[in-house]
Amino acid sequence: MIQTISTSHYLILAAALFCLGMLGVLIRRNALVVFMCIELMLNATNLTFLAFARERGDDLGHLSAFFIIAVAAAEAAVGLAIVISVFRARGTVNIEEIQSMKH
Amino acid sequence: MPTADDLRPLAVDLALLGATLMLFAVDLGLPHGRKRWLGVLSSALLAGLFVLTFFVDTEGSAFGGSYVGGAWPLLFKRIALAAGALAALGSVDHVDRHFPTRQGEFYLLMMFSLMGMTLLPGARDLLLFVVAFEMMGIPLAMMASYAKTEDLKGVHRHAAEAGLKLYLISAVSTAITLFGLSYVYGLTGSTRLDVIAQAPLSPLLGVGMMLTVAGMSFKVGAVPFHMWVPDTYQGAPTPFVAFLSVAPKASGFAAMTAMLLVAFKNNREQVLSVVLLMSLASITIGNLLALPQKDVKRLLAYSGIAQVGYMLIGLVAGGSYGVGMLLFFVSGYVATNMGAFLVLEAIAPQRTGITLDDVKGLSRRSPWLAAALLLFLLSLAGIPFVVGFWGKLMVFMAAYQAGYGWLVLFGALMAIVSLWYYLQVARAAYMGDAPTEEVVPVKVTPTLATAIAVCLTLVLGMGAYPRPFIEQASAAARSFLGEAP
Repeated sequence: MIQTISTSHYLILAAALFCLGMLGVLIRRNALVVFMCIELMLNATNLTFLAFARERGDDLGHLSAFFIIAVAAAEAAVGLAIVISVFRARGTVNIEEIQSMKH
Repeated sequence: MPTADDLRPLAVDLALLGATLMLFAVDLGLPHGRKRWLGVLSSALLAGLFVLTFFVDTEGSAFGGSYVGGAWPLLFKRIALAAGALAALGSVDHVDRHFPTRQGEFYLLMMFSLMGMTLLPGARDLLLFVVAFEMMGIPLAMMASYAKTEDLKGVHRHAAEAGLKLYLISAVSTAITLFGLSYVYGLTGSTRLDVIAQAPLSPLLGVGMMLTVAGMSFKVGAVPFHMWVPDTYQGAPTPFVAFLSVAPKASGFAAMTAMLLVAFKNNREQVLSVVLLMSLASITIGNLLALPQKDVKRLLAYSGIAQVGYMLIGLVAGGSYGVGMLLFFVSGYVATNMGAFLVLEAIAPQRTGITLDDVKGLSRRSPWLAAALLLFLLSLAGIPFVVGFWGKLMVFMAAYQAGYGWLVLFGALMAIVSLWYYLQVARAAYMGDAPTEEVVPVKVTPTLATAIAVCLTLVLGMGAYPRPFIEQASAAARSFLGEAP
């Protein structure tokens, strides 16, 4: 018997992706990998929006996903530029090695 | 077909867009060597817009209720524009000295960020929130890491790191807010705040709300997203920090109040515990970690976290009194903190890190700057009769009336702790011996001096006559909550 994929399956997948992304942000030390984990979190958000939009049958969720994609693209452009700037100044993008300020 | 009347709530924002494009055009036409005037021009434009806010009628709503005008958003716009005008004026010399070939972009980024800030207080739709937040946040990250390779080896050697920290935590908090919003949308079927308010509470919706509010705490620099604050304040260019430390906070609080008191107004109790925890943690962590700091900018960063905790008390108290006093507190804080950072810029324009040793002997090097710094510090500490005192007092009174007597007691005790580190800076300025034998007077440029003087006037003026400001803030808060004036 083939079970159909319900909204809750999508939601669980999205929540799992979000938690993976969050975990990555917390434990990974390479700025680029942290960056990728943030993208993972944003995509989990998109998936949630789309799953709810499918269940409700309205466009608002789809619209939100588009907005988030646009926002993520703008963020990525600035983020990568900052990572390059850090690399030029320090020669590394490891977050632990660029802790130069006093605590 | 929308008419011009529909755009009335957006009058200030559209005027700001026009001013930004004008700055862009002037930047294209201005020859090198005269770019310095761009800072003065942007400051003048923002000041003009600030004056304009007193003459426009923004009542009503646009885009089917997604965007509202009125007294409440207008006051926040006024705060953002004033902060922008002062910060642009204070940045003129710094930008001219360190980024002589890239001056126009700096002010353009500031104006773009301001556009996000003026949009936020009127937004009543989740999508608009997200866009406005990003419009505000992305230029800030760019300004923090504005220094290029040659400067990164010298004066701004911490700037790239400061920018990276601001950026990464900003992006994470955005993702968390968005994830929360996706659940809010999914369970209520709308992105409009007034529709969300009508939805029945479910556990998942509660989770969504908490994630949303937690993510927003980044914008105001509250615990648990405060880690970027000290590093970014210490490493980024000082005039930019003056801007960063005040303007996004005001708009962030506008967004948080809209979320808590409009979207979640029927389920406020659920989110309130999170805000209360954030407030307690911010006050405690900010004040205690400020104590051992030797870098003045870092010290002010932790003090800023503590101040945000006090502002959150106004949000916890809620009601038109609570949020009105929050607005008053924020407006006083903008003038105070902006002034304090601009004085630091005047003392050590060649550096981004300023230690207590740099402040030593300031009263002999420049009595005026020392007096200004002392007043700003007293206002931050909440000593009568400067504006910071009234701000804290009114927020405490609102919390006491709402039944949070213990929170007031805790806040007052921590305010006494804060006196110690504020006065340590003042003591260095007045009692400490200058590191060198000869007394080198501080040269303050006219633009920076003007900006500091305006901040000082505001701090003293609002301290001496707080009543009109308090009344205006409460009237705006009542109109925001739809109560009778």
